[in-house]
Amino acid sequence: MHELSIAQSLLDIAVKNCKQNGYKRIESIKVKIGKASGIMPDALLFAFDAVKIGSIAEKASLNIEEIPVSGYCECCKKNFTVDEAFIISCPMCGNISIKIESGRELHIEEIDVF
Amino acid sequence: MKVKVVSHILEANDRIAEENRRLFDKFGVYVINLMSAPGAGKTSLIENTIKEISGKIKIGVIEGDIAGSDDAKRIKSLNIPVVQINTGGACHLDANMIREVIDGFPLKGLDLLIIENVGNLVCPAEFRVGENIKVMLLSITEGDDKPLKYPLMFQESSALVLNKIDLLPYTNVNIEKIKKNSQALNPKLKIFEVSCRTGEGLNKWIKWLQSLIK
Repeated sequence: MHELSIAQSLLDIAVKNCKQNGYKRIESIKVKIGKASGIMPDALLFAFDAVKIGSIAEKASLNIEEIPVSGYCECCKKNFTVDEAFIISCPMCGNISIKIESGRELHIEEIDVF
Repeated sequence: MKVKVVSHILEANDRIAEENRRLFDKFGVYVINLMSAPGAGKTSLIENTIKEISGKIKIGVIEGDIAGSDDAKRIKSLNIPVVQINTGGACHLDANMIREVIDGFPLKGLDLLIIENVGNLVCPAEFRVGENIKVMLLSITEGDDKPLKYPLMFQESSALVLNKIDLLPYTNVNIEKIKKNSQALNPKLKIFEVSCRTGEGLNKWIKWLQSLIK
């Protein structure tokens, strides 16, 4: 259940940014979660609903954009994107000389405030 | 009104981890974050390491568990400074938990601090605590499918210690498969095969550890 720690951290960042910008209430929070980040979106949504109670984000929705795993194969000299959360070799040629370029994101992108 | 934020969700944790790291650096303490599933032998590896090198290298230990202080008692009986963190349910240690205990910890004069994380193959890999390196332990009885089932921890670690190799004849585990898949996930991963019960293979681990500190 480390989604609970993640939910608390993202709530803290959102609340801080909302107050710094002089607003009183958070309507929604947009986050980017990589498929290989180890975070389950459903568990994060569940945890967020628990931690937001009593905060200025009490009524806020959490919008999760899942980022697929993508990378570059040194052998094929091509980029790839896959559905799996983890890969150890190029999906095209099977070579292990790959560089993973996305899929580990854990970012808060934008908050909607009033 | 939309406000762009664009920050890493774990930035607060990472910031505290950086502060912890600066403090460790100031005292010249090398820090290992030791992770594994429950029962893989983390405390046994620490005990064996202490017995081998505490004459030459000053070691301190932080024990992380959900509850209880059995591990800390085991380390304390070896006359090593130790502090127990009880996470009270949390499945991993985070940077703030470490910050709270290092204030009163005798860092001065230490060469090596081993932080034994909560037994779990998933969450501890996500949270930096201020360590120099992460080391993971896998007991061979856990099965050869673990690298591909829990890839993140294998990717984040600098070394993999395969424990309980004395039990190999009694299992169907394919140790070469563990090594091959671990190194496919992380080509730089150093792998040690040990038995904390018989002492087999520990000399290579100890030698590597000493090379990091001195």
